[in-house]
Amino acid sequence: MTAFKRQSFAGLPAGSGGAVPALLLVGLFFIVPVVALLLRSVTDPEPGLQNYAALFGSGTYVRVFLNTFLVAAVVTAVTILVAFPVAWMLAIMPPAIGSIVFGIIILSMWTNLLTRTYAWMVLLQRTGVINRALMGLGIIHEPLPLINNLAGVTIGMVYIMLPFMILPLVGTLRAIDPMTLRAAALCGAGPFQAFRRILLPLSLPGIAAGGLMVFVMSLGYFVTPALLGGTSNMMLAEMIAQTVQSLLNWGLGSAAAFVLLVVTMALYAIQLRLVGAGRPGGGL
Amino acid sequence: MLLDYERLGWLRVALVGFTAAVAAFLLLPVVFIVLLSFGSSRWLAFPPPGWTLKWYEQLFADPTWIDAALTSARIAAMAAILAVVIGLFASFALVRGEFRGRQLLRGLLLTPMVLPVVVFAIAIYAFFLRIGLAGTTIGFVIAHTILALPFAIIPITAALEGFDKSIEDAAIVCGASPLQARLKITLPSIRIGIFSAAIFAFLASWDEVVVAIFMASPTLQTLPVKIWGSLRADLSPVVAAASSLLVGLTLCLMIVTALLRRKLSR
Repeated sequence: MTAFKRQSFAGLPAGSGGAVPALLLVGLFFIVPVVALLLRSVTDPEPGLQNYAALFGSGTYVRVFLNTFLVAAVVTAVTILVAFPVAWMLAIMPPAIGSIVFGIIILSMWTNLLTRTYAWMVLLQRTGVINRALMGLGIIHEPLPLINNLAGVTIGMVYIMLPFMILPLVGTLRAIDPMTLRAAALCGAGPFQAFRRILLPLSLPGIAAGGLMVFVMSLGYFVTPALLGGTSNMMLAEMIAQTVQSLLNWGLGSAAAFVLLVVTMALYAIQLRLVGAGRPGGGL
Repeated sequence: MLLDYERLGWLRVALVGFTAAVAAFLLLPVVFIVLLSFGSSRWLAFPPPGWTLKWYEQLFADPTWIDAALTSARIAAMAAILAVVIGLFASFALVRGEFRGRQLLRGLLLTPMVLPVVVFAIAIYAFFLRIGLAGTTIGFVIAHTILALPFAIIPITAALEGFDKSIEDAAIVCGASPLQARLKITLPSIRIGIFSAAIFAFLASWDEVVVAIFMASPTLQTLPVKIWGSLRADLSPVVAAASSLLVGLTLCLMIVTALLRRKLSR
């Protein structure tokens, strides 16, 4: 198709030469360390599967797994529920108002992660603004425990994940032909029926792809759960870091990291399928 | 008409109200932290009993904060340059190469973005402990370049796909060497992609916490590590001052990006 044949470097396939530095970098400093870590999970302190036995045999670690899935599921569900109406409005709003909302989304997304988490730590603490406001309004009489528990992690994580759900969903919703809804209205469908039978099913691929992405990201999240969560509901990433950093138990930490890696990659593969289905050839 | 803004009726009021509430929710922490950084209360009371600049004075009087910020800037600049250069070459291969396994290669180069950072963090930390790069600037730069690479490759490949290669071919027909054609025709055409890549790659390193927590040494710590340490100790208002400066930086980057995009895409 192209008029010019690319020169081929020393036996490399045509046009692949440019990828060599990236491949060397990723191979040497990503693949090798990760594989070495995984090998460590079955060799440290001695060859065998004892680290995995310890991981799945102990109630403490199983609770960490379950809690990780619970938090990720709650965060994903809340994020979808909050993001959908916003994406819906952004898809059809006049651009003048919409661009303000987009600006706010980008600002929150680009703001340093620790800054955002710190703000929530201050806002949610016992004597924080939210508790004071609620008490001042007479809604509550005792400060609510909003931090170091599931509520704190959920608020902080939903805050971080919202842009990742809203932005792709806007694309999905914009791609829906408004005529389909006009047709539904002509055929006598009320707003609720049109939503349930037309809008929701048509946006489902976007919701599924975005939701899966949020779920995968939440599974491996470290910073926000570590700062806003409690010790009784620790998540997997924090447990891995602690096992390695404080307990210096590399074997067990590596095994837990391997579990996280396998789950993440499997879900990511499903997500690629979902997104790829809409793009013939799954092009770049 | 659920997709017709003008004809949504009562639903529009509800949905616009909800959207406004979510926008306020997204804006709240950012505005709050900036206001708090000027508040005089050591215990972060809000609304503050008075206004002051003392947290900023403390911040700038503390050399460890300044050092951490300079270290972060240095590492992020190096990681961004490396990621953009390596990513640029890789993007040409990914978009124009005609070889088997191209999709696989793309997947491989983007994996660092998908893999939970904590897994990469302990892997590279263990590796660097063994080869003596833990706690060094080079180690930091290498690890952050890997994490920044996907953020460079995605915008550059997107720009390259939107560029019509026959223009480059035309330059070669007119007597330019392939290298000249790429440097003078292709690169200027995809500059928005390259520019986005540089910003995203810089931010990927500048904001990175998890790898940095493991890699940091008492003599080498980045700004996020310094903030992390302060957060674990207490909720000092000095962190609010540092955070507000970071918010300011984000705003600057957003404005510069918007202006440059407008200028470049003319």
